[in-house]
Amino acid sequence: MAEDLVLDTAIRDWVLIPLSVVMVLIGILRYFVSKLMRSYQLPDAKVVKEGQVVIRARNLRAAANFIPLKSFRARRTYFSNEENGLLHVPKGQAQNAQAQMFSDPNMAMDMMKKNLSMIIPQTLTFAWVNFFFSGFVAAKIPFPLTQRFRSMLQNGIDLSTVDVSYVSSRSWYFLNLFGLRGLFSLILGEENATDDTQRMMQMSGFGFDPTRSLSAEKDSLDIVQHEWALPKFEQRAEAVLRRLVR
Amino acid sequence: MAGHEDSGASKKKTADSSNDLPTFNAENLQNNMKIIYYSRTFLSIIGGVIAGILGYTGLTGFVFYFLIMAITSLGLAAKAKFSIHSYFDCWNRLLLDGFLGGLLSYVLFWTFAYDIVHIF
Repeated sequence: MAEDLVLDTAIRDWVLIPLSVVMVLIGILRYFVSKLMRSYQLPDAKVVKEGQVVIRARNLRAAANFIPLKSFRARRTYFSNEENGLLHVPKGQAQNAQAQMFSDPNMAMDMMKKNLSMIIPQTLTFAWVNFFFSGFVAAKIPFPLTQRFRSMLQNGIDLSTVDVSYVSSRSWYFLNLFGLRGLFSLILGEENATDDTQRMMQMSGFGFDPTRSLSAEKDSLDIVQHEWALPKFEQRAEAVLRRLVR
Repeated sequence: MAGHEDSGASKKKTADSSNDLPTFNAENLQNNMKIIYYSRTFLSIIGGVIAGILGYTGLTGFVFYFLIMAITSLGLAAKAKFSIHSYFDCWNRLLLDGFLGGLLSYVLFWTFAYDIVHIF
């Protein structure tokens, strides 16, 4: 078995480089297409209100130590009071929102669009690679792998004595698929995947998120222990002002 | 109670005026984390190309990757003038965040450069 296969230069020119270039271009294309196709639905007023209440409660929790104990307690009662506290949701309403999310046609369409825009280019490129670039050794990966990876990496090559380091173009495609994510995050500003996850978060906010997060916020607000973090603030202010006056 | 007051006072002395030690400006922190991420990704790509050109194979290549990541951490720490606590909330973020994220990009560009140079 040959230790060092000599591979045709034409493979470099016509397989590796075009495949990488095509994948980069498809990634850029997908980014722009998803930007163009993004449709902004007008958010529901009630949902926005609930979201803002959650944000207020979270701010209160984060900055609890900078306000005196009494004012913190007053604010906390305002939020988590049993009768008319903002975060208290009666049990009956909790189920409704979840059912509503699944039957909302807009959201289903958006999720489908997002999934399609990810899956279709990948499928097409994979089929293209399989059709044109199968049956020969495409690249050599610089590190050795065990024999078990042979079937995964070398599926076009039917010689079992070839070193596992020599892989077919399908595995070059997969390597590109995972490795170019880092490159995309550099050249496209923010990564493709984070755009999609942001949209997913936006969509899930319409559904069961408000009611569940409201009770979660209420619980975590109840847990907070107040520790007054500015005990000597007057002295500190005095020191700063003296320094300024001097 | 006295211990808490003392620790509160000493924390304020070591912090500069832009952010007190107990609180962090979330936007700035996020910006700093993004900078770490971009630096690591970029250096892992460059490191991959270098490793491929130099012809590292197998374990040497992975050792080189960890070396590149260590150099990144060192460079970022030097840029922050070694006063980590006024830019990040803990050491671990600077040293370990995104450590393995660049591995795949590194391997891709390592394979690419190695093939182009050595198996041409």
